[in-house]
Amino acid sequence: MKNWTKSILTFAALGAASGPALAQSGVDFYKGKTVTYIVATAPGGGYDSYGRLVAEFMQRNLPGSTFVVRNMPGAGHLIGANAIYASKPDGLTIGTFNTGLIYNQIVGQEGVKFDLNNMSWIGKAASDPRVFAIASQSPIKTWKELIDQKTPVNFATAGVGSASYVETVMLTSALKLPIKLLTGYNGTDDQLAMRRGEIVGSIASRSSYDQFVKNGFGRYIVQIGGKDTDVPQLSSLVTDPKGQELIALVQSQGDIARLTAGPPGIPADLTAALVGAYKKAMEDKELQERAEKLERPVEPLYGDDVLKAVKAALNQKPETIAILKEALGKK
Amino acid sequence: MIDVMFGALGAMLSNPKTMGLMFIAVLIGLVVGATPGIGGRLSIALAIPFVFGMDMTQGAVFLLTMHAVNGTSGQISSIMFGVPGDGDDAATTIDGHPMAKKGEAGRALGASITASGVGGIIGAIVFAVMIPVLEPVVLAFSPAEFFLLAILGITFIAFLAGKGQIFKGIIVGLFGMILATIGMDPTTGIARFSGNYLFLWDGLSVVTAVLAIFAVPEMIALAAKGGSISAVSIENSSISYRQLLGGVMEVPRHWFLALRTSIIGALIGMVPGLGGSAAAWLCYGHAVQTSKTPERFGHGAVEGVIAPETASNAKEGGSLLPTLFFGIPGSSGMAVLMGAFLILGIQPGPAMFTTHLDLVWTLIWALVVGNLIAVTILLFITRWVAVLTFINGAVLVPFILVLVTVGAYANEGQWENLLILVAISFIGWGLMRWNWPRAPFVIGLVLGKIAEESLHKALGLWGIGFFTRPLSLVLIGLICATIGLAVYTNMRGKSIMPAGV
Repeated sequence: MKNWTKSILTFAALGAASGPALAQSGVDFYKGKTVTYIVATAPGGGYDSYGRLVAEFMQRNLPGSTFVVRNMPGAGHLIGANAIYASKPDGLTIGTFNTGLIYNQIVGQEGVKFDLNNMSWIGKAASDPRVFAIASQSPIKTWKELIDQKTPVNFATAGVGSASYVETVMLTSALKLPIKLLTGYNGTDDQLAMRRGEIVGSIASRSSYDQFVKNGFGRYIVQIGGKDTDVPQLSSLVTDPKGQELIALVQSQGDIARLTAGPPGIPADLTAALVGAYKKAMEDKELQERAEKLERPVEPLYGDDVLKAVKAALNQKPETIAILKEALGKK
Repeated sequence: MIDVMFGALGAMLSNPKTMGLMFIAVLIGLVVGATPGIGGRLSIALAIPFVFGMDMTQGAVFLLTMHAVNGTSGQISSIMFGVPGDGDDAATTIDGHPMAKKGEAGRALGASITASGVGGIIGAIVFAVMIPVLEPVVLAFSPAEFFLLAILGITFIAFLAGKGQIFKGIIVGLFGMILATIGMDPTTGIARFSGNYLFLWDGLSVVTAVLAIFAVPEMIALAAKGGSISAVSIENSSISYRQLLGGVMEVPRHWFLALRTSIIGALIGMVPGLGGSAAAWLCYGHAVQTSKTPERFGHGAVEGVIAPETASNAKEGGSLLPTLFFGIPGSSGMAVLMGAFLILGIQPGPAMFTTHLDLVWTLIWALVVGNLIAVTILLFITRWVAVLTFINGAVLVPFILVLVTVGAYANEGQWENLLILVAISFIGWGLMRWNWPRAPFVIGLVLGKIAEESLHKALGLWGIGFFTRPLSLVLIGLICATIGLAVYTNMRGKSIMPAGV
């Protein structure tokens, strides 16, 4: 027993001592090296600007390194995510993609060639809570008024299979909402359709609607996750346990926004160096200022903490998975 | 109002830093625009790190001018080598490149550059005039109208194919529409005709298809024929500033056409969701349809250069409207621009009228002045650029093919597009070799996708009776009139467009 404790203590001591040493050897490795930062969308847009920001500040915090951003758009972030996963685990390729791919992995969707459980997680930069946004000309002002609607109201989502579609279908079916879903509203199509009055609302990330609501074109009636206190939390209005579980799943999506990860099997010292540089980048006042202007304030998590959050989101009960599969058209 | 309007112009012109930035922006915009495959969106995305910390007005002027003059230089390669930079420029290729082949590259460039500038300026004026009626106009266009506008554009195929060619035109157009269905079905989420290839999920790359259909066959033909692009030798052609000036003067000669296509272009730009290529093609079709001598089109009719160029630059002014006053960007390029505006501290929305009216006017003036600078620069340098059409094809073809390859790759950054380029090039070459029309292919590809997506949305919203809204009925009337006119002229046996376009 005594020996056992002792060995643990030794290990702990070793670990504590080797941690910084590991990171230091990793940092040295990056002198004169070029790191490719893959962004799974086309240039422009939130993922790209955020990715470029992270790459720029990681470069500053890894002495002698050069970060190059590479855009690999297509198939709803799948092409980029697959490319990051398949890249050589030499610590020279990392990147960012939509957290919504968690849904695709849970149901084993076509085109998924990665396992998020195994990726080398570097960090996540922001939280992007979901909101129910309602057009201002609609009489619906509260959650109760929405669920009391006698005839279904039109809600817009992007294409079938997209994260916004999956979330809307899941919440609609689990909470039995009076919502008629219309798909194919990409980019800001839904906001224009709300202005025209074709569409009553949308379940979307808050950052994409802040401008719209500020301009008086719409209002939030309920929010999932996030620290904003101007809108009631959906979880406080729902009693059904199955509904609560799905809300928690959607919330976990919002919590791990703007992530950075590399392929499985990056040596520990290099991962430590990357996480260290990422952390320093996130703590940089200038990055925080710029991130705020781009979208949302920085709310970072690092390395294993992100892995933990991703694992929790991936680990769903069979009933939840069944609802997800239904949403994604998989029986 | 008037004092704000001219105050903004005065402040802009008298500030050397703003003007300097604008000049740099014009240069960057022109270089990016002239390179096939990389769009204006990329240049703004890359410029974002530099605008942090810039003054609000200066940053906005810088980014807007960079974006706005992109289309001005895009047609250089389409006219000279038949290499369109993107879907918009493809319409210019149809008549611009034949002009170059006739030794009139200077005239074509002069006309297209001037047309771009005029379009950009008229677009800015339309912007200013439309501000009060923006809301009702923009909100009048729903998916039902998008669908009908796309169908209207598709019916122009009937005019783009000539006598005895109408069936060939329809077949090629339908082929383009079939290829437009490649990718993720917007309502079922099922990948169509995509095999296991993820890169096809988002549909066929329009840039790649356009390069393959137009540019590669031209280069094969040039290599096989020998000689230079221009069939006329440099000694016998009047390649000079005079020819260039002659081209410039074509725009005032066709001032009414230029005015109409600029206004149409600006209006299409104003309505988010239709896309820039639709503007160029609709205006090209309009020019053919309204011409007294439509048979000249495809053989180097200067109107065929003026119409799409005015439209594609005018739409920039139009698309800025919903971006600035609704905060809802009309195109992906505008979405990036809006993101950059937010960084500069500009909050797009209705409040722009009251809080930032001076900035709005500065942006309108930036469109005007930026276009003028771009036109001036280009008119000075094109005299030397046009000489390239007299260079021996054996020297030129490899360079152009490299340009084409880079363009097809750079657009989406996927090597698979190079295979698509080769495959469709065979089709393009076959069409050219056996005198089938090529323009309907691009129309089918570009507008087919819009038609399908908006039809799905319209049916979802209103069911089968979606087309009974008043504006829809007007558009249906236009479609019927177009088809009727096409049938009538075809029956009379009047050749509208010769083969091989």
